[in-house]
Amino acid sequence: MSEPLLEVSNLTLDYNLGDRKMRALDRINFTLEKGEVLGVAGESGCGKSTLGLAILRLLPRVAEIRRGAVLFDGTNLLELSEEQMEQEIRGQKITMIFQNPQNALNPVFRIESQMTDILRVQDRYQNPRSRKRRWDFKQQAIERLKLTGIADPEARISNYPFEFSGGMKQRVMIGMALSSGTSLLLADEATTALDVTIEAQINRLITELAAEYGTSILYVTHNLGVLSEMADRIMIMYAGRIFEVGKTEAVFGSPRHPYSAALLESLPSRQDRGKRLLAIPGFVPPLDRLPSGCSFHPRCAFAQEVCHQAVPPLIEVDKGHWSACLLDQKRGRQKWKWI
Amino acid sequence: MEVDLIQIRNLKTYFYQGKGLLSKLFGQGLKIVHAVDGVSLTIKKGRTFGLVGESGCGKSTLGNTIFRLVEPLEGEILFKGHDVVKMDQKELRQFRQQAQIIFQDQFGCMNPRMTVGQIIAEPLLMRQGVKVSQEELGQEVAELLRSVNLDPDASVKFPNEFSGGQARRIGVARAIALQPTFIMADEPTSGLDISTAATILNLMQDLQDKMDITYLWVSHNLNQVKYMSDDMAVMYLGKVVEMGQTKDVFEQMAHPYTKALISAVPKVDAEGRKKTIFLEGEIPSPINPPSGCYFRTRCPYVFQRCEQEEPPLVDLGGEHYCACHLQSN
Repeated sequence: MSEPLLEVSNLTLDYNLGDRKMRALDRINFTLEKGEVLGVAGESGCGKSTLGLAILRLLPRVAEIRRGAVLFDGTNLLELSEEQMEQEIRGQKITMIFQNPQNALNPVFRIESQMTDILRVQDRYQNPRSRKRRWDFKQQAIERLKLTGIADPEARISNYPFEFSGGMKQRVMIGMALSSGTSLLLADEATTALDVTIEAQINRLITELAAEYGTSILYVTHNLGVLSEMADRIMIMYAGRIFEVGKTEAVFGSPRHPYSAALLESLPSRQDRGKRLLAIPGFVPPLDRLPSGCSFHPRCAFAQEVCHQAVPPLIEVDKGHWSACLLDQKRGRQKWKWI
Repeated sequence: MEVDLIQIRNLKTYFYQGKGLLSKLFGQGLKIVHAVDGVSLTIKKGRTFGLVGESGCGKSTLGNTIFRLVEPLEGEILFKGHDVVKMDQKELRQFRQQAQIIFQDQFGCMNPRMTVGQIIAEPLLMRQGVKVSQEELGQEVAELLRSVNLDPDASVKFPNEFSGGQARRIGVARAIALQPTFIMADEPTSGLDISTAATILNLMQDLQDKMDITYLWVSHNLNQVKYMSDDMAVMYLGKVVEMGQTKDVFEQMAHPYTKALISAVPKVDAEGRKKTIFLEGEIPSPINPPSGCYFRTRCPYVFQRCEQEEPPLVDLGGEHYCACHLQSN
């Protein structure tokens, strides 16, 4: 077995909002192998975006990491100083692509200056006596644009962001994020705002470039279809906890947690015309008022007395397949058929 | 018995850029955006018509033109036999009582300073020749809220107190207030979580069964259109490239664009990855559409004739239409 690139253990994080304390991540444990694509899915407010930000330590001031460790290549990122994070990790070994490329690019600067800025800063960290000139960085930036499939990069590099379409802006972001030095890419809803044909192009680009550089990907999205096609393994989150992790075929083929099964049954693509879709009753609970026991029990059609009391641990129920459902753990594999 | 509710014939909606004084003095002259470029289609009563396409293909403009929120350049929109394009203000008002819209931006279409009760009551007050007391009005609003599975107490709250899914349901309640025969739903579940989207889809199907509503379902989500609609049309750069019963379009897709679009939709499938047709490039600008077939710049099967002639929309049998030279040969 190869060494895991990223090992998150027992990560617990609170948002302190005045007198309210929201537990956004609760004992998160998972590993990510080199070159692997791990998909993270769940409804809004389940903590999937917070997880990405916590790894890069880009959290707002109200967030407080209670305990846990984020081991990246053997180093605990939570123990590094801010300078080390900035100079060695962020934008170099670990990079991130956000949902809205429009907000990630500065509208008043040309693509060229935004791309070369990053290259220059990185170059200075790596080699403080570097004698590279503006021209060198520009060539490097053009090279990267070419890699991401932008036609005529020599001319397009002097355009402003508004002259690019949404798909092209996302290509620029990928060009900035992915290079030979990147070993982990965090993609947070990277293609949600794009049309399906463009989404397919961008996801292909991410996978191809990642495969070329051997980059691992943590792909956060609520689109289960995209994950089914891209991810090697899937992690389902709910209200700050991991509910299920496993190989994509296993999680989507025979989910071991009722919540994963419910998500799949709510998809129109899996249902025939005229048949009703599953609508999970109730709402995702607010994080400062989580129900006792399993946080999903008030909405779960299968909940028993025991689910109200004990918090289910995440246990390996099958080889490489982990689930946090007490009933599944006690009685063995269940058919979670909601309708 | 299937009756045609809406017939659209050769509808064109163009937008003009560079009409202002500054552009006249310094600009490069008038630019014409071919938003809807000669669309003909028929929406049958009691059924759901799905309209799909990438952003910028004109599907929302087509919808807005049907309601005359945008004025068409030419063409006919027959609603129960009457041409919407030629209606005067009075007729238009009557038409808009029977036809309603559920907008994409659920918060943007509600006045934040009005309570939900006032928002839903507004169309009820527009009815002509009907006088209702405050009490009756309150009852009607409560009834509407109940029919979209919201608590009648919600009527005293303001829009910002609701979640996205609830706000969408308020939009549905307002749309059905006047018991319309036709509703256009523009991306009705965009931005909602999977399970919340499912509640909206279930609700809208129940209402269709109960009230015999015809839907025009505008969406770029093909999975949803496949699930919801009986008939569908695929648009590309302001034109319909394929049209027919939904099951025909999905099972015997004829146009290369439809094939690529459907293959690009990510599916949850434990069987593993399927084959995606990747389209190169992006949708061209509707200001200067390509000659001949609009899709030829991205089509993998392009040949010489595509550049010279525009393919007509031909019937492949069973009311399944396709505009492609490969099919008409």
